[in-house]
Amino acid sequence: MTGPGNQSQSKLVRWIDHRLPIFTFMQHELHDYPTPRNLSYWWNFGSLAGIMLVIMIVTGIFLAMQYTPYSPLAFDSVERIMRDVNYGWLMRYIHMNGASFFFMVVYIHIFRGLYYGSYKEPRELLWMLGVVILLLMMATAFMGYVLPWGQMSFWGATVITNLFSAIPVVGHAIVAWLWGGFAVANPTLNRFYSLHYLLPFVIVGVVVLHLVALHQHGSNNPLGIDRKGPQDSIPFHPYYTIKDMFGLSVLLIVYALFVFYMPNALGDTQNYVQANPLQTPPEIVPEWYFLPFYAILRSVPDILFIPAKLAGVLCLFGAIGVLFVLPWLDTSRVRSARFRPVYKWVFWLLVADVVALGICGAHRPEGWYITTGRIATLYYFIHFIVLLPVIGWLERPLPLPTSISAAVTRKGGAALAGAAPSMEKH
Amino acid sequence: MAETAQPRPMDAHTQDSATRRDFLQIAATALTGIGAAIAVWPLIDSMNAAQDTLAAGAPLDVDISHLQPGQQIVVLWRSKPIFIVNRSAAELQTLQEPQVAGLLRDPQSEVEQQPPYAQNWHRSIKPGLLVLVGICTHLGCIPEFKPAPGGDLGAAWPGGYFCPCHGSRYDLAGRVFSGVPAPYNLPVPPYTFISDAVVRIGENPPGSSFDLDSVVQL
Amino acid sequence: MRAPVLAAAGLALAALAAAPALAQEQPSIPTQSWSFDGPFGTFDRAAAQRGFQVYEEVCSRCHSMNLLHYRDLEGIGYDGAQIAAIAANHQVTDGPNDQGQMYQRPGRPSDAFVAPFPNEQAARVALNGALPPDLSLIIKARADSSLTKDIGGGADYVDALLQGFKEPPAGMTMAANMNYNEYFPGNQIAMPQPLHGDDVQYGDGTKATLPQEAHDVATFLAWASEPMMEERKRTGAKVLIFLLAMAGVLYAAKRQIWADVH
Repeated sequence: MTGPGNQSQSKLVRWIDHRLPIFTFMQHELHDYPTPRNLSYWWNFGSLAGIMLVIMIVTGIFLAMQYTPYSPLAFDSVERIMRDVNYGWLMRYIHMNGASFFFMVVYIHIFRGLYYGSYKEPRELLWMLGVVILLLMMATAFMGYVLPWGQMSFWGATVITNLFSAIPVVGHAIVAWLWGGFAVANPTLNRFYSLHYLLPFVIVGVVVLHLVALHQHGSNNPLGIDRKGPQDSIPFHPYYTIKDMFGLSVLLIVYALFVFYMPNALGDTQNYVQANPLQTPPEIVPEWYFLPFYAILRSVPDILFIPAKLAGVLCLFGAIGVLFVLPWLDTSRVRSARFRPVYKWVFWLLVADVVALGICGAHRPEGWYITTGRIATLYYFIHFIVLLPVIGWLERPLPLPTSISAAVTRKGGAALAGAAPSMEKH
Repeated sequence: MAETAQPRPMDAHTQDSATRRDFLQIAATALTGIGAAIAVWPLIDSMNAAQDTLAAGAPLDVDISHLQPGQQIVVLWRSKPIFIVNRSAAELQTLQEPQVAGLLRDPQSEVEQQPPYAQNWHRSIKPGLLVLVGICTHLGCIPEFKPAPGGDLGAAWPGGYFCPCHGSRYDLAGRVFSGVPAPYNLPVPPYTFISDAVVRIGENPPGSSFDLDSVVQL
Repeated sequence: MRAPVLAAAGLALAALAAAPALAQEQPSIPTQSWSFDGPFGTFDRAAAQRGFQVYEEVCSRCHSMNLLHYRDLEGIGYDGAQIAAIAANHQVTDGPNDQGQMYQRPGRPSDAFVAPFPNEQAARVALNGALPPDLSLIIKARADSSLTKDIGGGADYVDALLQGFKEPPAGMTMAANMNYNEYFPGNQIAMPQPLHGDDVQYGDGTKATLPQEAHDVATFLAWASEPMMEERKRTGAKVLIFLLAMAGVLYAAKRQIWADVH
């Protein structure tokens, strides 16, 4: 172990490190941390998600200094941020579009995990912690969307909290408890504000666990095979720090295009109308990142003795719940879809299915959209519950490469030992 | 940062490419750092006074036509109490007595706690009308208006302001007494007369410029 | 990998194409060219000032703009004295005074635009039960969601609506006190045609035709919805230039560092 203690110039660093080994920790987890040498740009999205979380928390804290969580004033206080607070418009647009970009990054991160089998042994808990993060993100985003107290804030909150009324017996009591009154109103706004401030820090906590689990076995890689030795890995720093930084700069360019040139393109125009409990907007549509789930919610008909409303709610939560047990539903021992000729197709079908769900979610559930929504919902669950186990049994995977280095370098692993100093010292 | 003590296979590279490597990595680190630093500014600036706050600090017109000699009114300007006092002839007389001046720390108002047009024995534009920022120069409490001489503040009390927090005393021109915690006279804000009946707080008389932020202690 | 991607994309596209086009009863809203379009667009100050005049003399009889302050008018080129004069033209309710009464005083630059009605009920009782929406954010509240149009979409709509009043088509029964407008969703709007041309006398000599007035008022309202748009776009240009430079340098550094590995 080459800790900084024996090579550092600074006595102060050594003094601190002897008592609080943060420098050793950073050396170990950032610098020496052995990472597969063949990670593609799809592996950037994990760190990008982390950076998005930081951006959201930082802008959120400064916005909270100006925001008033009181229903008669909330809408105007957001507009005061936009008009009167120095750079308020910038912070608000960064935060508002940041939610979309956070979800976009995380969705890509999740689909990357699905494609390359990153949820498989020994990374099941890593994956499940990720699903917890997704759930927390959804709750946080939903409650944050209520805070500007526009029409879509109010009616979105009304519709989504009413989901819980589908629960038999206690449903209505739960909804009244969520509201703190007879309907979505000021008490609801207040508690959503409190929780919207709290949950991001809970997410930070789960992210730390996610990283601990990640560093236990290291990253999966596009080949899905384990690292076999030093020649398969390179130190995280500087190789992946620089690659992540470059990826970040690309993300920020796209992000900036939205923030500065089409800041409201991803939002709903109705949210620039103050909440009015006496008038429902013509269509209640959630933000784009909830559309597939919204489509599932609305597509489900009565199932046997379960009424459609309850069935929709069950399927909505089931759609995320199924991700928790995914590591045990996929019976294939090959991780990467590169070597799974059948799963590869099914994966892209799932992507198309989710996109189709999103499109259905954006439209009124009428005619064609109902049919498509139902088929797409059904297929979503078939994918996880039927196709994944069956394909795992029946599929004949392609032969796996013997090692990462053999697969990714022309000269094979032999030439590498010198080129990339291995830090694998476990 | 990127170049650590770890051995790198530099033999194959010329000195040239090593220099280029250093330059690129330093440039990348520097640009990232500069970008992060610039991004912090909007956050900091957002905590400065917002446009509506600044606009609400615009000059304030106060009707003083009903203010009788010996009376004080207090108005709020920029979230600060502003004392406006119509001083009686007797009170103005007291201000000029030498034994009162002997009790004061800065009887001539030499420290810049007032605009130039109020740097006189009565610390005001018109001798009768006093305008003060009613905030103790010690630690920011609001002094009480005690215009009557004597009483529970002692036989020598000439009338003025008494701060309940730590006992600082000022006379009826806002001049601080010696031997009290407050170090400076009460500040005089910029003000001007629109008419005999209306005084405008926060605006200087024509031809003067004075910013309340320039006083020594507010 | 390519074949499945294409197949999936094809499926998604098929899903989109098969979506029945929702029957559009309204004619589509004509797309206008606005001074504030595009990445370097700015608000045409003269048009916005004319639009403000139309608002003051016509729209403000019924429509409030509660989020705006007279001081904000600096953004469309009025100077301090002009703003003070405009504000002083309005009577603002202030108080309570020493007698405990509310009182009227001339407006100040820091005051919000004075609303035509003290509350919703007063507006409804005066206007046959209709409630004229506040216009502060009307452009953003009506903007279509197309990705690149920014606030131009809402301005197109307002411009079209103001010129969209027509006789109802034969056979259409109008509800009481409703007016036919070809661009209004449902075609029945409570607002009677507000502008007919020559409703105001423009100080700069521009002829106050109906299209001119509609265009000017839409420009003014677009500014009112998003007064920070010019600063936003200017800042965006600087940020993007910086980010592009940063991305270039980071990419070069990444290539350098990874040169050993490939």
